[in-house]
Amino acid sequence: MNFVVPALNALAGVRERGFTFTGTGDDRFVSFDDLRALTRKRAAHYQALGLKRGDRVAIVEPSGEQFIPAFLGAMWIGLIPVPLYPPLSLGKLDAFMDALVTILNVARPRALVTSERVAKVLWSAVGRIPSIERVVTTEELAADPAGELPPAADLRPDEIAFLQFTSGSTALPKGVMVTHGSLAANCKAIVVDGLHVSVNDKAVSWLPMYHDMGLIGLVIAPICYGISTIYIPTLSFIKNATSWLEAIHKHRGTMSFAPNFAYALVTKRAKPEQIARWDLSQMRVFGCGAEPINPDTMRAFVEKFAPAGLKPTALLPAYGMAEATLAIAFLALDEPLRTDRIDASRYHADHKAAPGGSLEIVDCGRTFPGHEISIQDDDGRLLPDRHVGEICWRGPSVAAGYWENPEATRETFRGGWLHTGDLGYLVDGEVYVSGRIKDILIVNGRNYYPQRLEWLVDEIPGVRKGSAVVFTRPGAASEEIVVAAETRTDDPSALRATIVSRVNEEFQLAVSDVALVPPGALPKTSSGKLQRRKTRDQYLRGTLGKEGRGGNARLAVAKHFALSLVGRAQHQARVLFKRLGGIS
Amino acid sequence: MTQPIDVVEMFKQAAFEVDNRRLPELKAETVIATLGMDSVAVMELVSYFEEKLGVRIPDEELSRIRTVKDLRDAIAKLLPDRQFAA
Repeated sequence: MNFVVPALNALAGVRERGFTFTGTGDDRFVSFDDLRALTRKRAAHYQALGLKRGDRVAIVEPSGEQFIPAFLGAMWIGLIPVPLYPPLSLGKLDAFMDALVTILNVARPRALVTSERVAKVLWSAVGRIPSIERVVTTEELAADPAGELPPAADLRPDEIAFLQFTSGSTALPKGVMVTHGSLAANCKAIVVDGLHVSVNDKAVSWLPMYHDMGLIGLVIAPICYGISTIYIPTLSFIKNATSWLEAIHKHRGTMSFAPNFAYALVTKRAKPEQIARWDLSQMRVFGCGAEPINPDTMRAFVEKFAPAGLKPTALLPAYGMAEATLAIAFLALDEPLRTDRIDASRYHADHKAAPGGSLEIVDCGRTFPGHEISIQDDDGRLLPDRHVGEICWRGPSVAAGYWENPEATRETFRGGWLHTGDLGYLVDGEVYVSGRIKDILIVNGRNYYPQRLEWLVDEIPGVRKGSAVVFTRPGAASEEIVVAAETRTDDPSALRATIVSRVNEEFQLAVSDVALVPPGALPKTSSGKLQRRKTRDQYLRGTLGKEGRGGNARLAVAKHFALSLVGRAQHQARVLFKRLGGIS
Repeated sequence: MTQPIDVVEMFKQAAFEVDNRRLPELKAETVIATLGMDSVAVMELVSYFEEKLGVRIPDEELSRIRTVKDLRDAIAKLLPDRQFAA
């Protein structure tokens, strides 16, 4: 196993491979040898500031080129970096600041690292975080330090490498403790076992570096194994999704990862001229994770880019989450997208995945050597194949728990297993992820998974794509199903009827009410993720569609997740993305 | 003499091209978050302005932009020699 700090140290002298930063002006190549030197410089600055092993350092830096050495420099001497999303979305500054303050008052960093320009935005938050003794700019860190460059710390596998804060509620942010040991184990699982990477591979990433898939999968894992990687600024991708495939074409990329929504977006945005020009034939891996994978999105992507040489086997459904460090399972490299069609009514009624039916679930492949997946019922009993239960996982990649939150740690990391909170089933060792436990709708004693219903409603003409929310209300005998959706239709009663009959056809489920509202009226997080619980609350209060129109209410509602492409993914994939966990 | 830049009109055009939306009621005071566009569409819209006008709004400015007028002011700062419609 390659531990990140010793691995970076061992890259001394490697000048032909490294990281390329694109996006603003000319591409800039930083060899691994250079990266090691830049890292040591930052480490020297941290040391001069009196920061000690185990101290937390918050890092809010939108530029990958500045973020990476600032992050690695902290790890180099055993500090614990806390990467956070920068304020990059439109007009969400207050919500962003509140989230930042809440998270950092849990992490209690001694220093905040940020750019001069972002520091100007953050100054008001810093006063609300008593632990911060110093704000250090990445410009200062780039200067030549006085004194010696520190040697790499000799870190134990159980020492915390960094804290990964997951979205969740702002009231109680949870910082996943990723250790050097879990990091090394998971990077090996991803790079060696999952992707069979060689030094000739080239990864391409536009993912944000404050989030596990971008940070571990496409920064740390490449360092552990010396893999050249090309970075596109996240915002450049969001502004122009085709920049992703353009970079893959230009740099002859062989691997990339992104959430479902990115595949949908680039499929929509690519122009015939570009597809004719691009050569994607060298791409071995288009990994898809971090949110539920919609098979229709995947098929549309494969079909659209086949003329550019895209191989159907390049598509690689992945499953994971921050608590797993990152990756839990990958589909085998040589497999095209595989799905399981199961009987919806047996799924909902008996929690069985019986073959043959209309419900389509994506195969996320097997877990890695040394790790084990089990499916458990509510009492922790292991379930056989094709029985639906909670996906649990164990092995050396499991993170050490949540930072200073023993209660949440006990709940999630119990009985020797990581309890993912995801529902799914196994077939011959392959894992199929079908929903989130806490989202389950229970009607007449049967369980329904709201995402499945929402996907269906989203496809109905007249419904604004990605706007459907399904929840329950208390009924006379049982909970009843309510569908809320945004629409511009002139004929709402016809649309209501269509929704009721489509849901009934597919799920043999009666919809008790359909609440149609104008576009933008359903509550979303700042990232655009639909809020099912909030929608339900407003519906029950009778204020659905009447709150938050024209003012600050929506922003007040909006929690953090600045640009949160990942958060936004939930909404976009026009799907619900599972928790912000990692490939999760 | 170049035409004054009408950010409100451009915004309407951008919303149509990026998100297939008609926004006849849009005003300078409109809070962008109330339009119901998701955050990726909003960023694509920002990109539309950047391309048409040949500017780049600094990333850290984005979080301060709430209304269409805020967007106009951010662009005006980058184009001091151009006139802007009221």
